[in-house]
Amino acid sequence: MTNVVFLDKEAHRDLRVQGGTSNEFPDDQRFVQVVVNEFPLLVVHHPILLTKDSDTGAFICGAVFGFDAAENLFRDEPDAYRPLNLRRIPFFVAGGGDLAIDLDNPRVGTQKGQRLFDDGGAPTAYLQGVIAALGELRPGAEMTKIFIDTLLKLKLIGPIDISLRFDDGETRNLLGLYTIDPDALRELPDATVVELFRRGYLNLIYLMMASLKQVPVLAQKKNRLLLGASDALARP
Amino acid sequence: MVRPIRNIVIVGGGTAGWLTAGIIAARHQGRMKADFTVTLVESPNIPIIGVGEGTWPTLRTTLEKMGVSETEFFRECDAAFKQGAKFARWTTGEKHDFYYHPLMLPQGFAQVNLVPHWLRGDQSRSFCDAVCPQGELCEDGLAPKMITTPEYQAVANYAYHLDAGKFAPFLQRHCTAKLGVRHVLADVESVEMTEQGDVKSIRTKQAGEIAGDLFVDCTGFASLLLGKALGVGFKSCSDILFCDTAIAMQVPYAAPTDPMASHTISTAQSAGWIWDIGLPTRRGTGYVYSSRHISDEAAEEELRRYVGPMAKGLSPRKIPIRSGHRETFWKNNCVAVGLAAGFLEPLESSAIVLVELSAKLIAEQMPANREVMDIVAARFNEVGHYRWGRIIDFLKLHYVLTQRPEKFWRDNTDPATVPSRLKNLLHLWKYQPPWFLDEFDRLEEVFPAASYQYVLYGMGFRTEIGPLDNAGTESVARKFMDENVAITRKLRSQLPKNRELVRKIHDYGLQPI
Repeated sequence: MTNVVFLDKEAHRDLRVQGGTSNEFPDDQRFVQVVVNEFPLLVVHHPILLTKDSDTGAFICGAVFGFDAAENLFRDEPDAYRPLNLRRIPFFVAGGGDLAIDLDNPRVGTQKGQRLFDDGGAPTAYLQGVIAALGELRPGAEMTKIFIDTLLKLKLIGPIDISLRFDDGETRNLLGLYTIDPDALRELPDATVVELFRRGYLNLIYLMMASLKQVPVLAQKKNRLLLGASDALARP
Repeated sequence: MVRPIRNIVIVGGGTAGWLTAGIIAARHQGRMKADFTVTLVESPNIPIIGVGEGTWPTLRTTLEKMGVSETEFFRECDAAFKQGAKFARWTTGEKHDFYYHPLMLPQGFAQVNLVPHWLRGDQSRSFCDAVCPQGELCEDGLAPKMITTPEYQAVANYAYHLDAGKFAPFLQRHCTAKLGVRHVLADVESVEMTEQGDVKSIRTKQAGEIAGDLFVDCTGFASLLLGKALGVGFKSCSDILFCDTAIAMQVPYAAPTDPMASHTISTAQSAGWIWDIGLPTRRGTGYVYSSRHISDEAAEEELRRYVGPMAKGLSPRKIPIRSGHRETFWKNNCVAVGLAAGFLEPLESSAIVLVELSAKLIAEQMPANREVMDIVAARFNEVGHYRWGRIIDFLKLHYVLTQRPEKFWRDNTDPATVPSRLKNLLHLWKYQPPWFLDEFDRLEEVFPAASYQYVLYGMGFRTEIGPLDNAGTESVARKFMDENVAITRKLRSQLPKNRELVRKIHDYGLQPI
């Protein structure tokens, strides 16, 4: 359940939030929705793919963190870039631009975590960080939507079948994922290519295509984990 | 001199006219950049009939090929999903008597005929439920796909219910804006003929003379070109199909969130049947009946009883039905499509699918010149007669298997009113169930063997199956029936409600991929 309320410096003066990655809250989302400004930061670790929002059917961009539900293969890499959509949890921006918080999120309490307001009632550095993240997310989401609409209009999006076979015999078929269709890209008229370049989209397109190389890297990572686990089981 | 066929003139602008224009123009886009034209001449004064609100899954391909966005089609034509038809009270007339004719084939249809296995089983489930999930999806009020399923793709096969009054203008906008169809608003005053008996041109009140190489008659019941100008006669089939009148009533929902059926409901009455088609904004209902068996007043009374309290204050619209078709469909350089070619009661939504199939045949077989046109015309007529005959047989099938006691139904079972081909098939099917390698072997069969299976075994028809007949296919049949149980369970848990998905298509749209 969620219980989203507007953030209030009086009512929430003593509230604390465990905002970071930890063993208790391990960022266990295998696919995290991201915005275009994050692509350069993500491409060094994550495949950046498209999928459809299950509620609206609209395309969204996301970074792959794992292959199974709730799997995060980056738990042991605290220095890896953490997407805005993870950093903002459990905060939201309401329609009018006001900050809101989900009080039912288990990260929220009064004992553990970082305070939101200092004794003088001013936002702490943590809260300022969240506000900055949300401030980046909002226009970022709008820019991402326009980018995706452009890709759709130019018919540049195509489905991608990712089938993985791990050394312990496990297989995974990832469904419902999409990426740039390289053939469609090659066939674009020159004028369109220049326009995509000027708008910065060509760069984003190539970042997405390059990020596909992270799929085998990530699979290798999971493979090591699986083998480690079966080794451990095999030991007497 | 060989006269090339370059200028296509379609006369009449209802669903048939615009679908034909769109199908021909989409197929010949390349040539339309040079010397090929498609012109649609439409009277600004004659209203379109617009009764057809049920379609076949073929319309998905047709619209997709025309470059129509399915999302826009849903939004602008008040469209909804149709997963088949539910026939209520056709067999015994009792309250819980019903069967489905779904749009999905029985599981494993290409590999094994499940009919004999079902017949020799315990029949704890209906034939439809034993072999395909769609009947249960309909009973649950579920949509045939999800919001993440791309445009025109299906999870369960589907067609549409639509508002015919909105569909023709929608197609018109698409055809003129995207496909280069010329639109002329003018009343036809006369048809000019050549000495050889071809249509040379049409003279119009507002736009003068319009000449063409091939004329498509989409003028509805009037059949101005093929019927009137070329004198092709009409072949009635009212001796087989008795219904000659319809009264239609558009019924609002009590609340805009009321469940919306994703199938056509067709409920047998004392002298015909009532259609019930769920659109997002209203239900379209109507009673199709035989005026020889019931008075208009009594028919209206039955329709009102069916609709219930919502019928209060609504007055039905009466539509005459003239069952039958032209003796020839393509004569000289004139071909009829839609009501101009013929009409049958809308029991299996055959009107729009016939338009699509005819227009597609014209578009694909577009004669290069006048010299070869007669060869194509002969082919078209052969196919046309085959299709109309098959549809008449299939519609009659719904009537001959009934046990209902009323005179209308008893008269329908009179062997003298059953076409001989259907009679032979029914005789044959007492000993072997229809399947592949039966005679429904055309590339574009309107009703495949599966359709006959659903109606026959939905209505309690029995085929004698010998004790050893199934031995060789027992295990594969069981596999498919088990799979059907699993697929049905999965789909029932995954698919959204029909009403909800249509709302989401309005709110968010479907993705093109």
